[in-house]
Amino acid sequence: MKAPILESRHVTHRFGGQAALKNISFSIEKGEVVGVIGRSGAGKSTLLRFLCALETPEEGQILLDGIDLTKQPENRLIEIRRHIGLVFQHFNLLTSRTVASNIALPLQIAGRPRREQQERVNELLELVGLAGFGEKYPSQLSGGQKQRVGIARALAANPTLLLCDEATSALDPESTTSILNLLTDINRKLGLTIIIITHEMDVVRRFARRILALDHGKLIEDGTLIDFLSDGGQKKTLQPLLADIRPKLPNDVAQQMCETDSPGAAIIMRVVHSGEGVMPPFFGALAQRFTLDAALLQGGVTTISGQPVGDMIVSLRGERRDEAVEFVKELVKSMEVLGYVPHHP
Amino acid sequence: MSPIILNVILHATLQTLEMVFASTAFSVLVGLPLAVFMIVTGPNGLYRLPIIGRLVGIIVDALRAIPFIILLVVLIPVTRFIAGTSLGTEAAIVPLSIAGIPYFARLAEVSLREVDMGLVDAVKAMGGTRLTIIRSVLIPEALPSLIGSLTVTLITMVSASAMAGAIGAGGLGDLAIRYGYQRFNTTVMMDVVIVLIIMVFIIQMVGNSLTRWLRH
Repeated sequence: MKAPILESRHVTHRFGGQAALKNISFSIEKGEVVGVIGRSGAGKSTLLRFLCALETPEEGQILLDGIDLTKQPENRLIEIRRHIGLVFQHFNLLTSRTVASNIALPLQIAGRPRREQQERVNELLELVGLAGFGEKYPSQLSGGQKQRVGIARALAANPTLLLCDEATSALDPESTTSILNLLTDINRKLGLTIIIITHEMDVVRRFARRILALDHGKLIEDGTLIDFLSDGGQKKTLQPLLADIRPKLPNDVAQQMCETDSPGAAIIMRVVHSGEGVMPPFFGALAQRFTLDAALLQGGVTTISGQPVGDMIVSLRGERRDEAVEFVKELVKSMEVLGYVPHHP
Repeated sequence: MSPIILNVILHATLQTLEMVFASTAFSVLVGLPLAVFMIVTGPNGLYRLPIIGRLVGIIVDALRAIPFIILLVVLIPVTRFIAGTSLGTEAAIVPLSIAGIPYFARLAEVSLREVDMGLVDAVKAMGGTRLTIIRSVLIPEALPSLIGSLTVTLITMVSASAMAGAIGAGGLGDLAIRYGYQRFNTTVMMDVVIVLIIMVFIIQMVGNSLTRWLRH
């Protein structure tokens, strides 16, 4: 195993006696793309300020490249911050400076020669797709373009880590897509470790391979989204967050559905499958082998961090229903029974 | 209008301009650092020196509480010490500056407070020192608003300089009182008023366009 680039060890912090973060531990390797998700008040922003060395937690350690950020003097922290790129929700570009001058600021702070600054700025403008925009002012740009400048600025000093704080939350869906694609591209091209903090599961679904879920200051989950989707609904704390991106039970079915089975009732199941073949063609197989009514109520195949995943709600009804359920269970990654719809002759 | 009167008005106008611009220059030179000081020492400021910060605030407010006409008289010994005399245009620059410094400091403080704290955070997160934050965030980002504060200060100095005329500073205020009021010369009085109005209009116009240009 490679040495982690970023590590949080038992980080705990309180605001006015109230715990904002409780015993947060995780480690991130170089090149990883991690989404930190949680609703507002979950402690995401507090954690971010610790990760980028702007503030220090009361207890615990934050290690960046093996250096404990909680034990450094302020002048050392100033130096360390130059190796962490930060992208903001509201861009935070200086309105008094041109685009080029905004991107050059971290280089200026690091005291690089003017020639080098210019070359790097042109390189970055090219990378984020804003070549020729250098002399414009931020007020002349759209939200998506401003965020591209924000990303270019964060990358200017060749950071070891890129932190994105709700980087797409202030953008329209189209710009969100283009920014996420840009970040994915940057991760692939530069091998840069990226952490994106967000309350939108959809952002994580499209972007992050690994998820850290925060709730009320606690780290409740650490794993891949596919794992969470296919755990058969055991992780109740995660369900509200996942609900945004999962197929929902149609209303009319939800009304008819009950928890107990009855003769001739249809079984309603959530089925998740990923990897090879994505969704085995079981509807056809079921109808033929077990002479069933098999229906797809909601859902289909979506892409989760570049991997196709089938997430759907199906209904099965017929004489040999239970045999069919066993057959499906063998075939897919996970299966969860949601309820039964009684038979009305 | 006789050439003599015209000459007198021209001379007085130049004296007024000298007082206004010199005292405003001192106000900005001292007032802006004071404003920055009050901002960076305030709550959530870059330096945590709340006691010194508040002390400066109290001094600034105390100076602003004194009516200018009284300040003029109270400051005569100070003026004499600095300028060598308490009479004339140059001497008047002393009390005008002392009134202008806290005035501009408070206005500039408001301008600086309007700067988005997110920008301060951004530059801090880039590894900028506190000096960098003041130099490349606080002041440049507040500049359009600071120019607005400067415009207001200049105009306030125009009217204050007229008051200084009452204690022998020369300038348009002096002219209006001696020729216009005490000698019942309404023409001179009206001419002075017109010159003052034009002066204020020009200052405001230049200030506005400068602010607009800086806002991009």
